[in-house]
Amino acid sequence: MAQAFAELSVAQIQAGLTAKEFSAKEVAESSLARIASADKAVHAFLETTEEAALAAAARVDAAIAAGDIAQAGPLAGVPVAFKDNMNLEGTHTTCSSRMLENYVSPYTATCVSKTIEAGGIPLGKLNMDEFAFGSSTETSAFGRTFNPWDLERVPGGSSGGSSAAVAAGLATLTLGSDTGGSIRQPGSFCGTVAVKPTYGVVSRYGVVAFGSSLDQVGPFARNVQDAALAMNALAGHDPLDCTSQPVTTDFTANLAEGVSGMRIGVVPAFMEAEGLAPEVRAKVEEAVEHLRQMGAEIVEVDLPNAQAAMSAYYVLGPCEAFSNLARFDSVRYGYCEPGCKDLGHQYEASRSAGFGPEARRRIMLGSYLLSAGVYEKYYYPAQQVRTLITQDYVKAYEKVDCIIAPVAPRTAFKFGEIADPTSMYLSDMFTISINIAGNGGMSMPVGLGADSGMPVGVQLISPAFKDENMLRAAAALETVYGAAPVAPAFADGKDGE
Amino acid sequence: MTQHLTEKDVRGIATYARIGLTDEEVTEMTVDLNSIIESLKPITEYDLEGVEPTFHPIGNLSNVMRGDVEGESFTQEVALENAPKQQDGSFLIPAILGGGDE
Repeated sequence: MAQAFAELSVAQIQAGLTAKEFSAKEVAESSLARIASADKAVHAFLETTEEAALAAAARVDAAIAAGDIAQAGPLAGVPVAFKDNMNLEGTHTTCSSRMLENYVSPYTATCVSKTIEAGGIPLGKLNMDEFAFGSSTETSAFGRTFNPWDLERVPGGSSGGSSAAVAAGLATLTLGSDTGGSIRQPGSFCGTVAVKPTYGVVSRYGVVAFGSSLDQVGPFARNVQDAALAMNALAGHDPLDCTSQPVTTDFTANLAEGVSGMRIGVVPAFMEAEGLAPEVRAKVEEAVEHLRQMGAEIVEVDLPNAQAAMSAYYVLGPCEAFSNLARFDSVRYGYCEPGCKDLGHQYEASRSAGFGPEARRRIMLGSYLLSAGVYEKYYYPAQQVRTLITQDYVKAYEKVDCIIAPVAPRTAFKFGEIADPTSMYLSDMFTISINIAGNGGMSMPVGLGADSGMPVGVQLISPAFKDENMLRAAAALETVYGAAPVAPAFADGKDGE
Repeated sequence: MTQHLTEKDVRGIATYARIGLTDEEVTEMTVDLNSIIESLKPITEYDLEGVEPTFHPIGNLSNVMRGDVEGESFTQEVALENAPKQQDGSFLIPAILGGGDE
């Protein structure tokens, strides 16, 4: 298999299909074969979906044979893959947990069906932190995923498989979910364009819930145009998720406009934050300077309550997770401990054996925080802090169209390097306030850090339902930094040697 | 560091959360939870007098009711497909009160 199709962009794939240089069937077969060889080193995939891939490819080839590739959709022939918390009928949807090891989806998530209806070729399901609890994909019950840029390092998390698959050129587009940074942080760690849309842009129906008021689905890509095309396919109201909004924006429309006249905010407190690695800070400052040179007006903005976001999140997230994970009862689906004499014992034994340590910690924490007397001390104030953080952003966006900040305090760390849960939580210090407020944020790769040699992303943050602003600024940065490359050890069809 | 929870508290929470823990796990969990709860301290120190809470990022949401019309849904077989144990078209569970004889 000479051609690594998943290293191509959407436009390149569609040009090749239209010119009949290759067929969608060849794209599907070759991409699956590439996963079989190269994913041994990365372990981004938990399952491949040959049948669904070939069926999707047949539809695209039929449209091409009929002379109209557009009929097959805007993502026609594009190799895609999904985080394993997204249901696709007939596939395992495990959330990387023993709890759901044998669960087979009886239905398909809206974000998945929209991607496939847009012509995407579904290659498989991607590894993640168990139930999305983590920042390194090390908590997966089915083994860790390796960062394609350095196999001794984590890909980030929780959508680590989604970012690693794109960085290794095993898929052109993938989907992830982001509750506190789970799209953007692995985007930064693996050097991919990683978008967490505004809460409500994409339907959450069929995505296994973690924090229902925080979760949002978004795409990973290697260039901004591809990410915007995916956003077009994903966005919009879904009758099955009443929080999804009637968004009809064409996210590709303003990508070529540049940033001249755009007001872009910098948050001094973020740039001075304790724990921000000098190489990351230098890259963010460099990107700010490029934006300034391209005509953006750089404005200092203040988010005075953002430092409370971490503690608010580690109250709200576990509370919502505790509630959402109550459904795993060992009766309707999920792991069931054999030989239990009564139902109460079966619940306890099954949930104890089915959930890993971090999932258990978050469930226990949520259970405690929602208990009488404790609720008033933590949960209620956390929701009040949410008001303050949201107001901070609203005020900031009176002055700017977009904010630029670090994504993560540092580049990808080595396996096992961060073992203490509270230290791991700091990975999300710059991303969490965006989930709390509900607006959009993305990671845009800006090259490699001077000290670690690992990818660095800058975070672009949009006002709510103005996700096109951050994509526009990202597209301008792309004219300087170029599209995100496939990690060198995997480029041009290499297998990571 | 403040001791927010004792091992006894943690056992109580585990019962409520339906998570069985061994003695060793209770000890470990107590240390972890105390350290996490300590890190949440800033939330208790804010002056939030008069600040309204935001329970959801999208304001003005109202409940959505569909028409009371029969639509497509899972068949009984599909709904049971993932059940660890089933019998006669139903989910099968052990005794709910006391210990059974099985």
